[in-house]
Amino acid sequence: MRNSVVRTAATIVGFLLVAALLPVCLSGFQLQQVSIAISYAIAILGLNLLMGFAGQICLAQGTLFGIGAYVTAILNATYGVHPLATLPAAAAVTALAGLVVGLPALRLQGLQLAIITFGVAAAFPQLLLKLGTWTGGVSGLPIDSLEPPAFLADYSELWLYLVSLGCACVAAMIVRLVLFGDVGRALRAQRDSSQIAEALGVNLTKTKLWAFAISSALAGLAGGVFAILNGFISPQSFLAPLSITIVIGSIVGGSTSIVGAFVGGLFITFVPTWTSNINLALGNVIYALALIGIMLLARGGVAGLVDRLTAALTTRSNPNGKAGQSAN
Amino acid sequence: MTLLDIRNLSAGYGKVRALFDCTLGIGENEFVVLLGANGAGKTTLLRALSGTIRSSGEIAYGGSDLQKMAPERRLQCGIAQIPQGRGTFTEFTVDENLTLGATIVSDSRRVRRDKERWYDRFPRLRERRSQLAGNLSGGEQQMLAVARALMSRPKLLLCDEPSLGLAPVITREIFAIFKELRDTDGMTLLVVEQNADLSLKFADRAYVIEAGHIVSEGSASAILADEHIQKSYLGD
Repeated sequence: MRNSVVRTAATIVGFLLVAALLPVCLSGFQLQQVSIAISYAIAILGLNLLMGFAGQICLAQGTLFGIGAYVTAILNATYGVHPLATLPAAAAVTALAGLVVGLPALRLQGLQLAIITFGVAAAFPQLLLKLGTWTGGVSGLPIDSLEPPAFLADYSELWLYLVSLGCACVAAMIVRLVLFGDVGRALRAQRDSSQIAEALGVNLTKTKLWAFAISSALAGLAGGVFAILNGFISPQSFLAPLSITIVIGSIVGGSTSIVGAFVGGLFITFVPTWTSNINLALGNVIYALALIGIMLLARGGVAGLVDRLTAALTTRSNPNGKAGQSAN
Repeated sequence: MTLLDIRNLSAGYGKVRALFDCTLGIGENEFVVLLGANGAGKTTLLRALSGTIRSSGEIAYGGSDLQKMAPERRLQCGIAQIPQGRGTFTEFTVDENLTLGATIVSDSRRVRRDKERWYDRFPRLRERRSQLAGNLSGGEQQMLAVARALMSRPKLLLCDEPSLGLAPVITREIFAIFKELRDTDGMTLLVVEQNADLSLKFADRAYVIEAGHIVSEGSASAILADEHIQKSYLGD
């Protein structure tokens, strides 16, 4: 018990240290990229809850991300709502959309669910074009740039970074609260054995729909943040492969980890660019090799690898201690 | 008084039927064992009772019709099940497993009190309360499964082959726990078993199921003395 409290505290302190150091070390443009990575991380947090803890597959997380972005853009561009004030609406509308996407999960699992949700992802960009009256079609929608408060007047990138980091912390706290509450216990139980969970009184329908709703709400929030960071969105930003990219981020970071979501967000934002910088013609090949390498080295993602290493170190330095065994 | 009255219960999986017009009754505060070989339909009958598969026929429980109730509702009415192979969640701690057993209980103080009560009864679980259930021995896991089922404060406890994969001495211990629950906690039990010899020594009454049909019933001592049973289950 004490062990897991210490580890949680260490994780939070480490996270805040890194978060505080980034603006000092990075250029404005790099900080902007990190902010975008954080917006992806929020969507990955949702997917971790759904995929890692509830055991459901959703290949439409990029679409739900897009829905959130469009709710923010439409409310801001068409109705003049302040960008930050659109975020709760983006989360709420996307949660509803996620419930619809999640309905097939009550009957289907695994591969079938993957294909159905990916169908949604494939249809989304064209639907955006068809609904041009609201979405602006190919030309997309602009979002007002966020005015930083007076004391940060000259540091708009820093302000955007703080906003996205704030949203991410809220998202992480939500996931943490859900996981360690009754819903989270039910989620993990039905993942491990739906039959036994049901016999113990877990309502499978309610539990699965909760998972989809919360995961989608986070995707929607993430999309809203993404729209604000970019200042402009179009269907190009939400093509079907984005959903796969988000799944990759989740798995690479570690799909049962909160910190892993941030690692995953940074990975999918930066690594493709780095690999193209190494060699433009071979960028995808190097990226693919990196993915394969990580999966060979760390099946539980980067977070899983770190867990294993710390467990190995603590048992060695404390041979009589029991190995840590908390979900972090 | 009859607590559970089952009439003409049939059930199956898709087109395959596993239970044919089974009729049996369990009195209040009675310890009944349902004997049967592999594939006789024992688990199917328990699952029909807990509502995790569909079935036809009547199941009256204390006067109300179980067939109309969702699994959750049956649990709220006091029917808890211990699944075959124990079904403890190995990635959960012992304590979390118990909390999961109290899913339908909203009063968290009651959950804490009940946990203490069962930890008192099963001290080995208390010692291991923050360990993963997967690290427990088979016997401890079976105890955990029993304690977990008790967390919903059931009146009727259904248990699916507790002896599976356990050493005889541990199985005996588990059956002694069942008998104690009957004697001191006023619980009613329906235990499904292949181990006739041991279970009949603890139970009050028994039914025998073969190929989906109830083929005989009687007091535990009568069944134990039955020649046919001796041949089929005791290997004489």
